[in-house]
Amino acid sequence: MANSIAIGLAEVKVSRSPDDVLVAFGLGSCLGIGMYDPILHMGGLLHAVLPINNDHKSEQSKYVDSGITMLLDLMIQAGAQKNRLIIKMAGGANMLNVSSLSSTFDIGNRNIDSAKLTFTKMGIKPKSEEVGGKIGRTVRLYVANGRYTIRMMGEQEREI
Amino acid sequence: MSENPESKKIDFNNLQEIILHGFQNAAKGFSGMIGEVMQVIDPSVKAISLKDIPMFLGSPENDAVGIYLRVEGDISGQIMLILPYDKAMEIVDLMFEQPFGTTTQLGQIERSALAEVGNLTGAFFLNAIAEMTGVSARPTPPAVMVDMVGAILDVIIATMGQVDRSAFNDKVLMFQSNFSIGNRETKANFWIIPDPGTLEKLSAAGN
Repeated sequence: MANSIAIGLAEVKVSRSPDDVLVAFGLGSCLGIGMYDPILHMGGLLHAVLPINNDHKSEQSKYVDSGITMLLDLMIQAGAQKNRLIIKMAGGANMLNVSSLSSTFDIGNRNIDSAKLTFTKMGIKPKSEEVGGKIGRTVRLYVANGRYTIRMMGEQEREI
Repeated sequence: MSENPESKKIDFNNLQEIILHGFQNAAKGFSGMIGEVMQVIDPSVKAISLKDIPMFLGSPENDAVGIYLRVEGDISGQIMLILPYDKAMEIVDLMFEQPFGTTTQLGQIERSALAEVGNLTGAFFLNAIAEMTGVSARPTPPAVMVDMVGAILDVIIATMGQVDRSAFNDKVLMFQSNFSIGNRETKANFWIIPDPGTLEKLSAAGN
């Protein structure tokens, strides 16, 4: 039986239980970053809110850059190997469709930029991603097989 | 918002009165637009954690419509009107004077009508506050979002998170009210999220 585990704002979770499905519901400008070790069948999902952690003290998983570092550390501590990790990401939409608002508050794009920069620094690269645009997404990571799916309003769930 | 709700600088009874007056005027503006009497139900002030916002309206995956405005001027903040998807279509039917059920999707024209709802309720709300306090502020053009509740609310969360980093784990103040239309009660949530410092200004001006 699938056991759905909601990953809320600024949360991160790693699981090796094959029944677990890690879910980040309704991501707008937030990013849902998944890592999966296919040998150990271990998956982790991060629900990051803001692009850059400036003071390094506050909640690591709230920010894209420190959150990715934290997720990678958690995976490695649990036995995963960095060179085996399959990384996927989705989210980072610009929800505000009015020009006077979106230019000032385009956190979605800044989140995406921060993720890409962090991956480059770490020498890792997402295998697939579906980011940006103007639409919210629900993200699921199936721990049993590493299936990473997105679903948008009025659409079917699909793997990326 | 890092203000403590018990902060001595702010007279909360006074503030609540100001905001309620704003809500009532917003309802009046809305009533005029749709030709039906709209009433303010259960206006309340809530101190909630930003993290808990997505759960506030049921599942964050529910389909909804969010009409969002920024407020700029002497005071600043965010206004968000959130309607369940089907209720938003009923409001479009009311505006277009057609039977309920006529609108089955939200295209450009329908979204533009809903943007007008945001314009009007925002302006009426701020006008009422200006009348009472002399504090002047104007709304930006509204953004209409048709999406999952969680994605819509990310706008508030990301903006608050940027404005005040300490707010993320703290409580934020939120003024919330539902409206009823005619004899139908609709779950239109009208939220005002003041930027830091705004409540002190409003409270001081209202005394």
